[in-house]
Amino acid sequence: MPVKSSVFKALTKTVRREGLSVVLIVALFTIIIGPMLTVVLWAFADVWRYPSLVPTQWGTSFWAETLARADLAMAFPLSVGLAVTVTLLSAVICLPASYAFARMNFPGRQGLLLSFLATNAFPRFGLYVSIAVVFYRLNLIGTIPGVILIQIVNTLLLMIWIPTSAFQGVDRSLEEAALDVGASRVRVFLQVTLPLVLPSLSAAVLLTFVSTFYEAQGALIVGLPNVTTMAVLMYSIINSQIIVQYGAIISFILWLPSLILLTFAQRFVRGNAISAGFGV
Amino acid sequence: MRRAKKRDWSWLAGYALIALPVLIMVALIFYPAVLALIDTLFVPDATTGVTALSLSNYQAFFKDRILVANLLFTFQVTLTAVALLFVIGYPLALYLRFSKSRLASVVQVLTLFPLFVPGVILAFALIQFLGSHGMLDSLLHAFGFTGFRTPYLQPQGVIIALVWESIPFTVLVLTAGLRQVEDAVVESARDVGANSWQIFMRILLPLSLRSAVIVFCLNVIGIFGAFTIPYLLGPAQPMMMGVSMQQTFNNYQDRVGALTQAVITFLFCAVVGLLYVRTVTRGRKERA
Repeated sequence: MPVKSSVFKALTKTVRREGLSVVLIVALFTIIIGPMLTVVLWAFADVWRYPSLVPTQWGTSFWAETLARADLAMAFPLSVGLAVTVTLLSAVICLPASYAFARMNFPGRQGLLLSFLATNAFPRFGLYVSIAVVFYRLNLIGTIPGVILIQIVNTLLLMIWIPTSAFQGVDRSLEEAALDVGASRVRVFLQVTLPLVLPSLSAAVLLTFVSTFYEAQGALIVGLPNVTTMAVLMYSIINSQIIVQYGAIISFILWLPSLILLTFAQRFVRGNAISAGFGV
Repeated sequence: MRRAKKRDWSWLAGYALIALPVLIMVALIFYPAVLALIDTLFVPDATTGVTALSLSNYQAFFKDRILVANLLFTFQVTLTAVALLFVIGYPLALYLRFSKSRLASVVQVLTLFPLFVPGVILAFALIQFLGSHGMLDSLLHAFGFTGFRTPYLQPQGVIIALVWESIPFTVLVLTAGLRQVEDAVVESARDVGANSWQIFMRILLPLSLRSAVIVFCLNVIGIFGAFTIPYLLGPAQPMMMGVSMQQTFNNYQDRVGALTQAVITFLFCAVVGLLYVRTVTRGRKERA
């Protein structure tokens, strides 16, 4: 029966093809989602004894205790405030520059744009130590301006390269057509250029906000002992892990913004926005 | 290229707009790095107080057995992790490039997932997952496997976490590189009888070499300069250079010592960093 066998062949072919996908998904799920799933389960566990695969006793009895922690109450607004400030400052500093890099002609433009790759070409922590030594002389250690400055360094490449490639990608003939029918330059920018680059700009802003919110290393070496962000707080919680639930609940809360960002991930990948941030 | 003939001030406007970020970069990257070099190379004499060019800080570093062990450990971890990243990353990238499965998008989301888990949370999660009596231990127990030995506070734990963290970047860039190779090229090679391995080695790898070089460079620099993961998951001895620097800086308040270690990591990464900048520069020129 040739029809049946060809159907069977197609079926085994599909199974074989999807089989690889399924194996990959199971493996990746265990390795990649497994650790985070463990944290989420711990956050909702009252008791969890080995070797049970799920909490022995579910519950949220640690939540009130954790949320009442004084260090958390101080660190959370600080982290949000810092992330907002750094993102806004970075946008104000970098977005006009990215427009200039994409659209204006000046000697050394390409070289200067490439020089921002230096932020990736230095081993991160060595650079932070060097910055901290400079800040030490300027009395910026343990101050909020110090933390803001060291966190801005991290955002430069992303906030310049992603918008620059977006501005470069705008079809100039659209703008010229609008100019031809008598629109002013400002109007062309607001109504033609801006809507076209907005997805990339928001991707850059969002990525900057989230990465700054989680930035821990710079804040640790420059901020301590006076400025303790949520991410920095995690160091001490992990190092003095008496009650797993504390760390799990804080991690869970801390992780939520990132989880929201994750839902946008597909769009960024399609637009290659993330790759542009690495200079690819 | 259009030259600025009509409006002679336009180049000035360009400089005005880029001045601030360039200034910040010079002040917070180049200046501290150069200052670190100067601070460690010009040493005040103990008796006269006159500063003179001297390698004594670096000699002290290489005489210190613990610090040298830290440096070697950092090399070992970096090389192992980067090699593992290629072994894991290329198959995943090839799958994502060529798979026509509907499930491929699920695989893509899973490989990107670590991008959305910050280092401190990852460290905590991996302790609960890989620690003794952790989730993996329980899973293996459920399958009847006992005798699990935790990689937590071992070099393996650091390597696992660093690889975990770098998978999204690796796969993303390798996939982007493979996408630049057109289907027609691969198909015509298959038509003349090339097998998958030959296609990979002779066509895909050479044609996507730039992305592989970028992945190599950024992974080496990223892992060499890592702090959070080795600090929270690694052994107390030997330490990776990031942890070593932080200890020297914070615990011993030895700023020159910490700077010496920083400069040593700069010098090693400078080679790789230059390769990275050159590769990206060339890629942009070719595209233009």
